Amino acid sequence: MYRIGFVVNPVAGMGGAVGLKGTDGVLPEAVMRGAHPRSPARAMQALRLLAGAPVEILACSGAMGEEVLLDAGIVPSCIAYRYSGESTARDTKAAVKAFMEHGVDLIVFCGGDGTARDIAEVAGTNLPLLGIPAGVKMYSSVFALDPASAAAILRQAPDLRYHDAEIVDVDEEAYRSGELRTQVFCYVKSPHVPGRTQVTKGVFEDSDEDRAKDEIATFMLEILRDDTLYILGAGTTTEHLAVRMGCAKTLLGVDAVYGGNVIAADANEETLLGLLARYPRVRILVSPIGAQGFILGRGSQQISPAIVRMVGIRNIIILATPGKLSRTGVLYVDTGDAALDREFGTSIQVICGYRLAQRKRIGLPADADSRIPGAQPGIF
Amino acid sequence: MQTKILLDEEQMPKKWYNVQADMPSPLDPYLHPATHKPVVPDDLKAIFPMELIRQEVTTDRFVDIPEEVQDVLHLWRPSPLYRAHRLEKFLKTPAKIYYKWEGVSPAGSHKTNTSVPQAYYNMQAGIERIATETGAGQWGSALAFATMLYDLECTVYMVRSSYTQKPYRKSMMQAWGAECIPSPSTKTNSGRAVLEKDPETPGALGIAISEAVEDAATHANTNYALGSVLNHVCLHQTIIGQECREQLAMVDEYPDVVIGCVGGGSNFAGISLPFAGDKMTGKHKEIDIIGVEPASCPSLTKGSFTYDFGDVAGLTPLMKIYTLGHDFVPPSIHAGGLRYHGASPIVSRLVHDGVMRAVAYHQSEVFDAAKTFSRTEGIIVAPETSHAVKSAIDEALKCKKSGEAKTILFNCSGHGNFDMSAYDAYFAGQLVDYEYPDELIREAIGRIPKV
Repeated sequence: MYRIGFVVNPVAGMGGAVGLKGTDGVLPEAVMRGAHPRSPARAMQALRLLAGAPVEILACSGAMGEEVLLDAGIVPSCIAYRYSGESTARDTKAAVKAFMEHGVDLIVFCGGDGTARDIAEVAGTNLPLLGIPAGVKMYSSVFALDPASAAAILRQAPDLRYHDAEIVDVDEEAYRSGELRTQVFCYVKSPHVPGRTQVTKGVFEDSDEDRAKDEIATFMLEILRDDTLYILGAGTTTEHLAVRMGCAKTLLGVDAVYGGNVIAADANEETLLGLLARYPRVRILVSPIGAQGFILGRGSQQISPAIVRMVGIRNIIILATPGKLSRTGVLYVDTGDAALDREFGTSIQVICGYRLAQRKRIGLPADADSRIPGAQPGIF
Repeated sequence: MQTKILLDEEQMPKKWYNVQADMPSPLDPYLHPATHKPVVPDDLKAIFPMELIRQEVTTDRFVDIPEEVQDVLHLWRPSPLYRAHRLEKFLKTPAKIYYKWEGVSPAGSHKTNTSVPQAYYNMQAGIERIATETGAGQWGSALAFATMLYDLECTVYMVRSSYTQKPYRKSMMQAWGAECIPSPSTKTNSGRAVLEKDPETPGALGIAISEAVEDAATHANTNYALGSVLNHVCLHQTIIGQECREQLAMVDEYPDVVIGCVGGGSNFAGISLPFAGDKMTGKHKEIDIIGVEPASCPSLTKGSFTYDFGDVAGLTPLMKIYTLGHDFVPPSIHAGGLRYHGASPIVSRLVHDGVMRAVAYHQSEVFDAAKTFSRTEGIIVAPETSHAVKSAIDEALKCKKSGEAKTILFNCSGHGNFDMSAYDAYFAGQLVDYEYPDELIREAIGRIPKV
């Protein structure tokens, strides 16, 4: 039986409902402002649809899972972690550790980006995660579109496929002051249902992510030249390309590669500007980041407007697997320079396979925020 | 208000029109795949009957349609020409839009115009079986119908992605007694080679051609038949354009714009070559002839005009064509019949010489056009045909802007009754707009054989 560790962050999303743009560090104020727990109801929506699914559920005690499971008529096979008092991030992490000791196949959590980050910190990159969206911010791509979609995925267990999903870290302090600073915290595996759209997409698209990354890399290797500096953005697609180029790229950072060697790892804007002064031929290869599909800006601020202007938009190559593109209807550019963003136009070519591309629409960054899974109108 | 313009059976053309007679210079010869020397008729004898080889190279302006073939064509020909009054009204265009409806044939597309004569000539030559390939299944079903008429066996290698997407095309072939095999298959060396390299390949027309050619070349009683690309196929399809010219003359019209979708190029050639002849001979110099292809497989708009193979394995002669490279595997768009790496030598040459031009569209925009067409004219067209519809609508909208009352003619080459899963995907917002990254590919090392 496919074993799921189920954890609810009981306070996730409370800050958002009362205009606090997050709950980290401001729970008392949220409660004072009249916030009510949101995540149990979201979890319930998913669990109600799970009856009879071929899964065994391990839970945490009380409000961290047991209560809502029982309310939904699901008896957990064991309470892997018990807590007392108010639950905190420390409890979430301890619960994940307990699940891992029980050898679960997947962790399903109900929360937001903060919960996802806490879990990934303990679970590492090998244990798959699936989020039932209930937080304020959900820029990470481990979340199902809504609770019902999460249930639909889990009902397909164990016949699940996994895609690389970013856990995105949002600086809540800055966020409250109106500035969105995000960075990729790590990559984890997250399940999706294979063949759900089999009829509409060819065999090619349904094959796994690694095969697609390999095809993209094969195509790019035909183009790469020794006399060109390549700025590779974050992500597993560019990492795979780097491996095929014979060099070791940082997964989360922006690296510069020349002549098959990484000449600047995890480079910041200043380093990159320094390199641009020395190398006349430069190309940027990036992959969309996060659930909302940002090509530039969020998650890769190092590639600043100045750098984009110097390299030129025509020297930017966007790479993404068909799977990623099917989950990302529209792409976004948010360099921080609105005039530059507009120069990208309304659609862009994305390399998605060997000598193969898709044309994807580019949306306005403001629209991206309203497309966050489970987002409530008015929160942003 | 006349909607349908009909010809009587006896008005059906009795000759095919051969555009090679009116081209300013001869087509470049086919080259032998091994020696790279011009092909001689004997080289083709293993897979084609002599009459089709003769038609492939003849420069006679007209070729007689055998009476036995005419009798069969009368089952659905002459096909109707429609004035798209409702579409015009919807678009609020001053343009006059006419479409030639080829979906009335038993197999539902223009393909039977050549499958019938090809089966007939093979039967006459004593051939017992024909092997072929099919993309979307239009050609496979058309040949299955034609071989049945002449008691020939028929084996169809159907591109795997279409085989999965369109199971009822396979059922049609079986209804007419043909065998239909998903390609690449394990039945041929070329199929096995592709599967070994890529077991999950969606297949491509070029791969299926290799399999069918190999099947024919390795079985003495078997010939090969191609549903597009070759000169004799384009020749057989010219019955479409000739009828159109007659039908338009009945309402005192001559087209300003002629449009067809392009995969291999035969339906486009069929409707346009008689008009291209008029253009080259100076009778109607201004006519605009437009081939419409998918942005995901844009051989005419993004390919190179060079010698290339017609198939993936390199078994066919080298032809001077617009090509994306014979090893290019087009993505699995729903217009399976347009997933071909090249375009017919005749169409390629005429585009190269500026007699015709080409445009390319993405998948979702052509389905937008198909939806408009189905909701105005009623016909649910094949995804391939929707490319021509899109271009016709765009040309009509240009007229709306300019105020010109141009006469637009397009080939409504087939119905989409077996393509409803594609429409489902469109209405669910799940169509992927694939495109060909031509600039990057140009940077990549070219692997088209240099001749």
